[in-house]
Amino acid sequence: MRSSLAAQAVRALLAALAVVWSMFPILLVVLSSFKEGHRIFETPPSFVFSPTLEHYVRLWEKWPDFFSNMANSLIVTIGATLLTVATATLGGYVHARYRSRLLTGTAFMMIVVRMLPPIVVTLPLFPAVNWLRIHDTHLLLVVIYATFFVSLATWIMKAFIERIPRELEEAAFVDGAGLRQILLRVILPLSANGVFAASVFVLVYSWNEYFFALIFTTRSAKTAPLVISEILSTVEGVDWGLLFAAATLQLLPIVVFVVAAQRYVVAGLAAGSVKG
Amino acid sequence: MHRLRPAHYLMIAPAQLMLAAVIVLPAISLLWLSLERYTYGRAPEFVGLANYLFILGDRAFWRASFNTFVVVNIVVYGELLLGLGLALLVAGWVPFRRLVVSALLAPYAITEVSAVVMWRYMLEPDIGMINYALMAIGLDQIDYGGDPVTALGVAAAMAIWMHTPFTFLILYAALLTVPVELVEAAKVDGAGAWQVFRHVKFRLIVPAILIALLFRYITAMRLFAEIWLLTEGGPARMTEVLAVYLYRQAFKYHEFGVAAATGFAMLVLSLAIAMPYLVQMYRRMVRDAV
Repeated sequence: MRSSLAAQAVRALLAALAVVWSMFPILLVVLSSFKEGHRIFETPPSFVFSPTLEHYVRLWEKWPDFFSNMANSLIVTIGATLLTVATATLGGYVHARYRSRLLTGTAFMMIVVRMLPPIVVTLPLFPAVNWLRIHDTHLLLVVIYATFFVSLATWIMKAFIERIPRELEEAAFVDGAGLRQILLRVILPLSANGVFAASVFVLVYSWNEYFFALIFTTRSAKTAPLVISEILSTVEGVDWGLLFAAATLQLLPIVVFVVAAQRYVVAGLAAGSVKG
Repeated sequence: MHRLRPAHYLMIAPAQLMLAAVIVLPAISLLWLSLERYTYGRAPEFVGLANYLFILGDRAFWRASFNTFVVVNIVVYGELLLGLGLALLVAGWVPFRRLVVSALLAPYAITEVSAVVMWRYMLEPDIGMINYALMAIGLDQIDYGGDPVTALGVAAAMAIWMHTPFTFLILYAALLTVPVELVEAAKVDGAGAWQVFRHVKFRLIVPAILIALLFRYITAMRLFAEIWLLTEGGPARMTEVLAVYLYRQAFKYHEFGVAAATGFAMLVLSLAIAMPYLVQMYRRMVRDAV
């Protein structure tokens, strides 16, 4: 399969272009967040500069709430991920191991639900949320985010649990293990990769979600993307350095996470969409 | 252990309850809401199809529908071409393959809000680096604030940038499953690179392409933040898409009935696009259930 030197050079060049297209906007924001304010718009842009933390300091002074909003994002993300994984593991196990008309119905329902545009549920939910007095709470976002990913996660867990030989469960059963012990001692450890794959998607979604946060939070549960959009939309003109500092703090951890969890993203996509 | 016991019903209950409470019941009640005049400070009042007649007579609704149609198609097919090209590139020989895949995946981790930040920064009038470069070589600047077509183009570019990783990964995974023997056999029979792609690889990844297309059609229709944070649908509501139209009717004009009618139209459209896939999945699941 060795190709000629010229073909290799072309491929390397194309790959370099693709990497630039993908990474340039991200690196631009991260690097610019450490640039002195007057150099942010220098032309042509230069990537040689002595780094400064002035924008981070100003972010701390001018938008102190940003850090509690980051904490909100973290709480909501962890909550939604745990809720998704717990419910998806329970449901995925039953869907992997049993067949019945009811299960065919619930499984099909989960596929249909993934096709519906999330925006439409905001209209009926809005009055209900106010009536329940859960507007602007972490719990509300946790439940909404988990619900939009529980079907994909269940699907992923089902695919991973199906690969675990039934004999292992039967052996545990003979040894006197109940359903709960089988789940905790046999299924969960052996489907750990599925748990990670199912987590990645809801975790990235919850950390980055904008629309539901815009509709359903006003103050105490506000998440980081919403505040970044507010910094972007201030009437007295955009403070780019401060904005880049906030965006960098929000995006660095999740980019690192996605790159580290790369193989789970691939596995999850394969289990969740292609095989259906 | 092949019969469902009560414990098993309890195990599927939490996910099903969440889906029912947050998605299914609200989606059904949307139909009811769309038949009402519903705004702040007034009791909801049944108005029949008046909301549907209103949006059908609203130029802004047609503008939003047309914009959505154009942008969604540009985004979906743009991503398909780019994703397929990248998948073919990376599935062959590239230096540092793992790093390249990581870099191509990175935009998936970026929130729409930050994507808008990045692109608005590069497109600032006069000083943003793209506009500066365009001026330097004597071309017109990209003016997303003044020209609706340009604004929609910028939004489409952002969406393509953010979502290409999805299409790329699905097609890349599919290409990796193409048996090497088939490719080699075709080459022995004298097929060139294009013929190998056209008659071997392409045919084998058609299912993956269809899945990627379907999911992106469904999700691209949800486009909101890219437009809202770029132009708020302006100037003069020329750059609205359906989600922005719905948001404005509901949360700016407080016409929840009109918004619900829009939402119901979006819902029906999504299901219509998904119908072939859903029918196929249903058949397969009924067959496997035996």
